[in-house]
Amino acid sequence: MRHLTLSALAVAAFCGAPAIAQDAATAGPGQAVDMVLLPKFLGILPFDQAHRGAQEAHAELGNPGELLYTGPTPENSVAGQIEILTTAASQGRDVVLLSNNAGDQIVPAAQAAQEAGTRVVTWDSPIPSGEGESLFVAQVDFAEIGVVMADMAHSIMDGEGQFAILSATPDAANQNAWIAAMQAALAADEKYAGLELVDTVYGDDQSEVSYNRALALVDAHPDLELIMAPTSVGIVAAAKAMQDEGLCDRVKVSGLGVPAEMVSYTLNGCAPQFALWSFVDLGYLAYYVGYLLATGAIEAAEGQTFEAGRMGTYTIERDPTRDNGLRVLMGPFTVYTAENVEAAAQ
Amino acid sequence: MTPLSAPALRLLVLLAVLALTVVFFATQIPNYLDARLFNRISTSVAVILPVAVGQAFVVLTRNIDLSVGSIVGATAYATGGLLGAFPDLPPLLVPLVAMAMGGCLGAVNGFLVSRFALPSIIVTLGTLAIFRSLLVQFSGGASITMASLPAWVPAFAQANALSWEGIQLRWMVLLALAVVIVAHVVLARTRAGRQFYAVGSNPDAAAFAGIDLRATVFRAFVISGALAGLAGFLFLSRFGNITVVAGLSWELRSVGAVVVGGVNIFGGSGSVLGVLIGATLIDLIDTSLVRWALVSEFWREAVLGFLILGAVALDALLTRRLLRRRARRSLPGARPALAPSGEARP
Repeated sequence: MRHLTLSALAVAAFCGAPAIAQDAATAGPGQAVDMVLLPKFLGILPFDQAHRGAQEAHAELGNPGELLYTGPTPENSVAGQIEILTTAASQGRDVVLLSNNAGDQIVPAAQAAQEAGTRVVTWDSPIPSGEGESLFVAQVDFAEIGVVMADMAHSIMDGEGQFAILSATPDAANQNAWIAAMQAALAADEKYAGLELVDTVYGDDQSEVSYNRALALVDAHPDLELIMAPTSVGIVAAAKAMQDEGLCDRVKVSGLGVPAEMVSYTLNGCAPQFALWSFVDLGYLAYYVGYLLATGAIEAAEGQTFEAGRMGTYTIERDPTRDNGLRVLMGPFTVYTAENVEAAAQ
Repeated sequence: MTPLSAPALRLLVLLAVLALTVVFFATQIPNYLDARLFNRISTSVAVILPVAVGQAFVVLTRNIDLSVGSIVGATAYATGGLLGAFPDLPPLLVPLVAMAMGGCLGAVNGFLVSRFALPSIIVTLGTLAIFRSLLVQFSGGASITMASLPAWVPAFAQANALSWEGIQLRWMVLLALAVVIVAHVVLARTRAGRQFYAVGSNPDAAAFAGIDLRATVFRAFVISGALAGLAGFLFLSRFGNITVVAGLSWELRSVGAVVVGGVNIFGGSGSVLGVLIGATLIDLIDTSLVRWALVSEFWREAVLGFLILGAVALDALLTRRLLRRRARRSLPGARPALAPSGEARP
C-alpha cells in the first residue's frame, strides 16, 4: 500500500503536468491480438496463477485472438525460452509475455522478435540490459522485499534470535537480490540489531532437497528460531519438515509463499507470517500491457498512463533497478497471517 | 575358519567405510551422534532406496537406467492426481498402482533396449526427457498440493513401527528394507535372479546356457520402473507437494548408490546389500556436509563428488589387498582370487 502511494506521489512530482493533463489510455475491447504467455518454466503454482490472471483479462477484453500458455521444462529453461520466443515471432504472434530466466542471452531473440513485429513484454523477471523488451511489468520493488522479510523476521522472533535463509539455487538472480536486500535492510536499521543470520543454504527449488536442508539447519543450529525462505517451493517444504518433526514450537518458517500451499501451516502456527504479491494480478496486468501496446492504445514510453481493467491506473516509468529499461510497478505486497490466509487460498 | 567370499569382504569394507565416515563427522560436528541422525538418514534413504535397488538389477545386466528420476516424478505426480480425484481408493492398492505405472514406463525402456538391441544409455537418456516432458504436458504445469491428498498419505510417512529413546523406525523405512531383502533373496537364491548376473557377466555364455537374454534385460527394466514407481509413492507420501521437478537428477544418485555399493558398472557382479550401504553412505555424507561448518555451501557438491570417488577407491583398494593376502595364505591350487569384479562368473 505504502509503496503504491509513494510511487503515485513520485509520478505526480516528476511528470506533474503531463501525467495529470493526459487522460489514461483505455483498452478498446474485441480486437484480435495473438498472445503468448511464456513463464520461466512450467510446473509451479505461481506461474499457473499468472496464467489464470491472463485468461481473466483475455475473456474480459473479448479478444478473438489466441492466448497460448507455453513454457520450457525446468532443466531446459534457458534454451527452451529462446526457442519458444523465436518460434512465436516466426509464427507472427503479436505479443510475447515473458518471465525471463535466460538473462541477457535472450536479447538477440527478443530483438529479432521486435523487428518481426512481435512485442516482448517482460513480467516477474526482466531482461537485465533492457534490450529487446518493450517494458517490464514489475511485481514489487526489490528493495521493499528486503524490508518486508526483515519485518516478518523481527515480528516472529520478537526482535531477537538466530535465523537462517533457505534459498533456491546459488545462482538465482532474483533470490540473491532479495537476500542482499534483506541484509541491507537489517544493517540499515538499529531495531533489527538483535536478529542474527547464521546460515544460508540452497534447496534448488526441489521439494526433497529443500526439506532435507531445512532439517539440517535445525540440527546444525540448536538455537535457531526461524527459517526464512524467499521461494515458494522452499517455504512449503521447510514448513512441512518442521511440522513433520514436531519442531513448530521452536522453529518458525517465513518467507515468500503461495497462500493455497501455505494455508494449513499458517493456521497451525508453523509459518505464522509470509508474504507474496498476487501472481493472478501480475498475469492480468501483464496481459493488459501487452494488449494495449499491440492495439496501439499506448506506446512503450516514459510517462504513458493507462487503465488496466479492475486494477486501476498505472504509469510507465524508468526502471530504477536497471540502467536501461522501462517498467510498470504493480505492488503492493500482501503479508499473510492466520487472519487473511484462508480467503486468499480460495 | 573358512575364508570370506569376495562379495562378503566387499560388504565388510563398505561397512567399515560407513563407520569411519560416522566417526569422522562425529569429531567434526557438535552433537552429531543422536537419535535424530538415525531418523533423518533412515527416512531420507528409504525414499531413494527402491530406485537404487531397481537400478542395481539393470546395472547387473550391463545396462543403465537414466530415466528413473523422471519415472519417480511422473508416478508421484500421477498417483497424487489419482488420489485427488478418487480419495477413497483403498490405501493398499495405491502403492501397487504406482508400481504398475512405473512398471509400464520401465517396459517401454526394456522393449526398446532388448528388442532393438539399442544402447540403454541412449534409450533411457531419451526416455528421461520424454517422460519428464509428458509429465509437464499432462500436468499442464500445475502442482499437486498436500491439501488435495487424503490424510493417510502424509500420515504414512510419519508413522512409526518402533520408537525407542527418540529413535524412530518408520514404516516406510521397513518397507524399503523389505524391498532390499526380497531383491537380495531373488538375486542370490533363485534361478531367475542368477540369470541377471549371468547375462551381465558373459552374455554369450548365458545365451549358450539357454538363458533368454532379451527377456532377462526386459525384466530388469520393468523391475527398475516398478521400483521407481514405488519410490514415487513414497516421495508423494513424504513430501506431499509435488512439482514437475520431483525426482530430478535421481538417476545420478541411484547410479551413485549402486556403484559405491560395489555393483560392477560393467555388469555381472554385486549385491543389493551393498546398494543399501552405498545409498546410506551417500545420504549420510550429503546430510552431514550441510552441518559441517568447514565446507561452504558452494563446495558441498564437489566435496561429495570427491568423497564418492574416495569411497570407491578405498573400497576397491582394501578389497584387493585383503583378497591378495588371503590368496597368499590359501593353498597354491586354490582358484585365482581376483578378477576384481570377480564373483558370479560362470
